[in-house]
Order: sequence, then C-alpha cells, then structure tokens
Amino acid sequence: MSNERIEFDAVVVGAGLAGSAAAMVMAREGLNVALIERGGKPGAKNYFGGAIYTHAIADVLPDYKERKPPFERPVTEAGFWFLSETGLTRMTVQGGALDTDPVDAYITLRAKFDEWWAEQAREAGAFLIPKTTVVDFIRGEDGAVLGVITDRPKGEVYAPVVIVCEGVNNLLTQKLGLIDRDLEPAQMALAFKQVIALDPKIINSRFGFSGEDQGLAVSVLGDVSLGLPGMGFVYTNKGSISVGLGVMLDVLAEYRLRPYDILQRYLQHPAIAPLVEGGQLLEYGAHLIPEGGYSAMPKLYTDGAMIAGDAAAMVNALHWEGTNMAIIAGKLAAETAIEAHSRGDFSQRVTSRYEDRLKEGFILKDLKQYRGFSRFLETHPQFMDVYPNFVNDAIGQFFTAYGKPKKELFKGMLGGLTDRRSLIKATGDIISMARSVLGW
Amino acid sequence: MKTGDAFEPKQMSEDLKASLPDVYVDDLLMTLKYFIDEEEAHLWIKEHDICTRCEHKPCLYFCPVGVYTLGSDGRIQVAHQSCVECGSCRVACPYTNIGWVLPRGGFGVAYKFG
Repeated sequence: MSNERIEFDAVVVGAGLAGSAAAMVMAREGLNVALIERGGKPGAKNYFGGAIYTHAIADVLPDYKERKPPFERPVTEAGFWFLSETGLTRMTVQGGALDTDPVDAYITLRAKFDEWWAEQAREAGAFLIPKTTVVDFIRGEDGAVLGVITDRPKGEVYAPVVIVCEGVNNLLTQKLGLIDRDLEPAQMALAFKQVIALDPKIINSRFGFSGEDQGLAVSVLGDVSLGLPGMGFVYTNKGSISVGLGVMLDVLAEYRLRPYDILQRYLQHPAIAPLVEGGQLLEYGAHLIPEGGYSAMPKLYTDGAMIAGDAAAMVNALHWEGTNMAIIAGKLAAETAIEAHSRGDFSQRVTSRYEDRLKEGFILKDLKQYRGFSRFLETHPQFMDVYPNFVNDAIGQFFTAYGKPKKELFKGMLGGLTDRRSLIKATGDIISMARSVLGW
Repeated sequence: MKTGDAFEPKQMSEDLKASLPDVYVDDLLMTLKYFIDEEEAHLWIKEHDICTRCEHKPCLYFCPVGVYTLGSDGRIQVAHQSCVECGSCRVACPYTNIGWVLPRGGFGVAYKFG
C-alpha cells in the first residue's frame, strides 16, 4: 500500500453546491470519485443569504423530496424593500408566479444543506475526504492535470480529470493559469449577515405568515447601504431570520467602513428593529461574492480540469442566482468528465465540451446578457439613495391628507424627485438599467 | 480602486458617518466556532515596512471580523484566529501585502448555520 499511489477516476475539489453535484453525477455513472473538502464537514466554510432553487436540485437529484432536504421555509413572498432614513416601502409579490408546485425556491442555511447535499453524493458512491485542503495540482510534462496535491502527508491524489469547485477564492484556478490576474475589489461584494433566533410563531406574526410553510426573501435597497453600492436582504428561516447586506469591497475599503457597524445600523433602522426585536444572535459571518460577471470569468477548462461555481464567477447578482448555476455547472462538468472517460481523452478536445454544454443552457446566456450589470450600481448610485427616498416620500405623501389641493401635492411629489435628479436623467437611468439587464 | 501609494480614501457626509454605531466585534465573534491551528498561521503581513508606509490602512476597517488592529508599537497585528477566510484582505489590501492561504484541512472557521 505504501508505495501504491492513490488514484481515482475523478477528483472534485470542494464539497459545496457545485462540487457535490458533480461528484453525485459521476458516481452515479460508476466513476470512482474523490470529493475533497477542506472543512471538518461540508458546509462548514459556506455562508450565504439565502435561497436554493428547486429546479437545479431536481436537475441533479429528481427524487430530492423523498430524501428530506433540510430546507427552512419556502419562498412564498419575494421582492424589494426600499429604505429611506426612517421609512420603508415594500414591493413584494406573493402567490401568482411564485405559486408553483414544486415551490421554486427554499430558504436554506448552508451548514445543514451542504452536509445533506454531500451526503447524497456519498450515497451515490462518491468518496468524501473532509479536513483536507488541496494546495496544488499534479501536472504532466505537457502541463495536463493528472491529480491534486493535498496538505496531508503523502497527500497526492491522482485522477485523469479534476473538477475544481474551490469557491470564490480561486487560488487553484489561478495556479492553472485559467485567469491571468487575481480578483479585484471592484468585482467582489463582501456580504455579511446575522442569523437571529426567534420563535417561529413570532416570525409568523411579524411577517404575516399563516405557518412555517410561508417565507419571505427580499432585497433591500437604500439607507441599508448608506446610499453606497450595495444591497441588503432579509430571509425568514423556520426559527430564525437571516439579515445582512452585501457592499462592494472597493467601496468598503475606500470609505474605510466596518461591515459590522453598517449591519448594526441596518438592524437599528426604525422599520427593521421591530422585526428582530427580542431575537438572539445565533451566528455572524461573512463571505465574498464574485459579482464581476461575464468579463471576470476564467477560462473554464484545460487539459484534465474544469472549473465550476463561484470559482468561475457564476453569479447573477441582481436575481440572487448563483447557487443554481453552481449546481447545474457541476452537473455539466461531471457529464463532460464522463464523456472524457468513455472516449479515453481528457484533453481540451473533450473538456472544452463543458463550455459548449454551458452555452446550451441558461448559465452562459444569462451571464453574458447581464455582463453590464456588475458595474451598474457603482455607476448609478442614485438607485441606492435618490430613488428609494423618492419612493418612500411619494407614497407617504400620496396617502397623507395634508388639507391641500391634490394638484399642489402631486407637484410637490414630482418635485421630490426632480430636486434630486432631473426627469431626463431619471429616464436615462431607467434606460441604462434596462440595457444592463437586457444586455444591449 | 486605486492601489499602492495611489490609494485614496473617500469621504461620506459627517451625518452619515455619525449615524454608524460603534460595534464591539468580539460580541459577534463569540457566536462563531473555530478550530484553531496553533502551529501555522494562514495569514501574515508580508513586509511590515510597507504597512508602516501605508497611510490609510483600510484593512483596519473592511475586515468583517476585525482581524487587523494597530499595536501600540504602530505595527499591524494579525488575529488570524478570528479569520472567517472570506479573502477580502487578500484582494483589497492596497499593497497586496497580506499573505493569505487556506487554513490546513479541518482548521479555521466552522459555521454552524451558514
């Protein structure tokens, strides 16, 4: 044994959403898969808002429901909250397009979910190796990836194909030369949140739910980020709520802001404080989100390796999508690895088929279409101050009886906007928002 | 963001600045579980002279768990035990003067909720 090298048909680096999906798909096809995770258990290093989309889970694991995923509440209400300094305007939808079977998305806590997700890969036959950090690759003379080097003694693990799902800190992707520069602060949002315990019944009454089968997921704009490029969120778990925000990292650095001060200010907002009142802090944490979009993506494949998930910057920030892209990309990389095994060719001739598969689906189409959005909030700060304030003032005034003629009032409302931003500029903002989203 | 000596802090209005509470980060860190590596630090300052020269020291602020503090000797101190491995300091230090590797397998933060 001591002289024998450890060899698998495939190695997956990272047992997150992409990694465990990839391992599951390959193991099911009979490949001998090592799923290497640096945490004590899968999920230990992951922190997000957030919600997980069932279309992606079902795509990899059609009978997921019978396997009792550790979901929190389903998303039955979703939308935007606009915060002014003291006001809150809610624009959310319930029922309608959200009323689907199965439910489109479930609010989730990653420590539990990722552990379950990796367990599905293990049950499919993948070999989970936790507490092991991959530090480099074994390369052939021609540079092809032949396996990974871990931080274990004699920690080399050989495999003709490696799927790298290392997460946002893409050190291994850089080692492969698949991206020619390190991440830049302007491409990253630093997200930080508190998980706050509350009795489920209190959550139900505060959020207007009839039971634990109802849940809320909202993006919060405005005062939440002090008017700086960033976005807050609120998610209702079963017995806790997740409240946090993401702010562009370059902005945090340049304004020299402490993330936890901003979060505390948000929690003390007069419209937010009553929602978390009496709650007990269960956990605080932070994570980077790669929001650079299409132009920040690395090359996705090389000889013997492919990249999926956050490491490949697969995030659509505006729509909170990323978890679903990770899962589907993991699956597509796995299918490509299976094809490579059946053809006995692990070179780019076959691994490039991973990109073809991504182009056929929604991931690369969406990322390409939204490529202009990654810088949108930074170039249009009025979406973080002028408009949220205007919406709050305008709706507030609309439903306030001042004892004045309505004509005067409406003029005043419009003035509330035009004092801050001219109508021509406001129209331009809407057009450029549409352009960035539609990819024109 | 401009890097190196060209890094320039931006100012927000005094009112906004005054609206920020002063949070004691250790109260938040108490909720976190860590497996601390007593033998190896996964974060370090590459060259202390560069930090001394760094005028604005944004790492003292943007780190979400307050790993970086200024010692009484004027040197940046690194409480790597508190790190949640987000990677912000690795990319946002204006001089890329922070050494950053992943903790050894099994060590570091272990989120219970995530």
